[in-house]
Amino acid sequence: MSARRPRPLVPLVVATYVGLLAPLVVVIAVSFGPSAAFEFPPRGLTLHWFEAFFESQALVTSFFRVSLVVGVLAAVLATLLGTGAALGLVRFRFFGREALEAFFLAPLLVPEILLGAALYLFYARLAIPASVWTLLGGHLVICTPYVIRTVTAGLVGLDPRLEEAAMSLGATRVQAFFKVTLPLLRSSLLSGAIFAFIISFSDINLALFISGPQSTSLPVQIFSQIQWQGDPTIAAASSLQIVIIGVLILVVQRIFRLRLVT
Amino acid sequence: MEDAQRRRTWLALTGPYALFLLFLLLVPFANVAVYSLHPYSPTKVFLPELTFANYLKIFDVYYLRLFGRTLRLGLITMAVCIVLGYPLAYFLARSRPRMQALCLFLLIMPLMVSAVIRVFGWIVILGRKGLVNQALLVFGLDPVRLLYNETAVVIGLVNVFIPFMVLPIMASIERIPPSLEEAAQNLGANWAQMFRRTILPLSVPGLLSGCLLVYSLSISAFVTPALLGNSRDRMVGQQVYDEVLVSFNWPSASSLALTLIALTGVLMFCALLATRRASRREAAS
Repeated sequence: MSARRPRPLVPLVVATYVGLLAPLVVVIAVSFGPSAAFEFPPRGLTLHWFEAFFESQALVTSFFRVSLVVGVLAAVLATLLGTGAALGLVRFRFFGREALEAFFLAPLLVPEILLGAALYLFYARLAIPASVWTLLGGHLVICTPYVIRTVTAGLVGLDPRLEEAAMSLGATRVQAFFKVTLPLLRSSLLSGAIFAFIISFSDINLALFISGPQSTSLPVQIFSQIQWQGDPTIAAASSLQIVIIGVLILVVQRIFRLRLVT
Repeated sequence: MEDAQRRRTWLALTGPYALFLLFLLLVPFANVAVYSLHPYSPTKVFLPELTFANYLKIFDVYYLRLFGRTLRLGLITMAVCIVLGYPLAYFLARSRPRMQALCLFLLIMPLMVSAVIRVFGWIVILGRKGLVNQALLVFGLDPVRLLYNETAVVIGLVNVFIPFMVLPIMASIERIPPSLEEAAQNLGANWAQMFRRTILPLSVPGLLSGCLLVYSLSISAFVTPALLGNSRDRMVGQQVYDEVLVSFNWPSASSLALTLIALTGVLMFCALLATRRASRREAAS
């Protein structure tokens, strides 16, 4: 028998979870409901708002042409930048290592809304018009630290002697890295990339400032439509985002448990 | 030879991201600092004089109220997050692996969904035809206006940021062996005494970093107060947004941004000191 746990804890925990999940449940319910006025509980079941979503040029562009594209690019590039940075931090001994690590993780400490404002003013000063690329640049700043953290954790748990063994068997350093270390890092790389995608895909604070009129990201689109009293079409778009992110988090959890086993 | 090659490899690995941060983090904030020291002009972007007026302006009643409101809402949010988050963290830390995996999923999933969607959910719940008002209607009561006030903002902020309170506390409780709890209880302590004497003091570092995260995130929030609050009682994040994108008073926005960053920085430093002292006391006893 484990510790005697106080009973009142369970109802409190359940209540907290109800509050935590309520907004997501409600958004999904509204996207299937017939009322145009954000009515909850809904009085029926319809796919009307999903049809409306796929017919809305603005939302489809934001979802597929901006948010999804920037998210995938941010995931790939952040994984490249972050893996390099993590390798440099873990596998090399040099003066000022801790300071460099703090610098590399600094974007996590900067309030995002202020980073967005700073990037906007910076781009404005250089007269760079807002586009998918300015958004991608900003997203790489906030996504890469997540990759660095997961890959660093993976590298620290890895025995460097494996690489040495490969080299003593005749592999070059580069071969040893690509044939031994990289495959063992696979799960950290994948979860880092997934986190980077999610951070980019759901970011609004940077996108408010640096995604231009031609490249409005999905969260910004939803934000402005809420302000202009939009209809449940945005709930349908939100439901799609919730499902995508839910599936990805499940994948990450699976990977992490697999890594604990092996 | 070998050394030079190693240095080149190291540069090739860390260089790209370091350069990237230099150009898209340090230089932009240096640019903000430069803006904050220049006077505002409605016709020109830039005037060639230096001034501290943008910082002195923060002591005007309007800005003092703005900061006061922001810091107060941050404190309330943090307090509610402790009250709701601590029990949840304890429950998570002490539940079986399967249960813990499920509960963690349910905690992290909402965290990863865009804040704007979660706030949207609260608009639906608290709105005129929302869940609460529908329930009131069932009991024959008139609908009430629940949106666009400070309560709604705090509800939204707590909902968006509570995972940042739960996760660090959970991590620090997990490090406390359950046998310690059992030992205390076998020696005759009741649950409350045991909790007060063992779990609570040992989880202080987690609690502190949770508070710090939630506080610094809440005082720089934008989406939640913009959608759930009323447009007169704003928070600093909204003011920065308006001054950058609506009134184009970039020098003023810059001084606000740097003041907020300085405030967050001071808080971080205090929390770091407090954590150090707590762990030193722990080591001493």
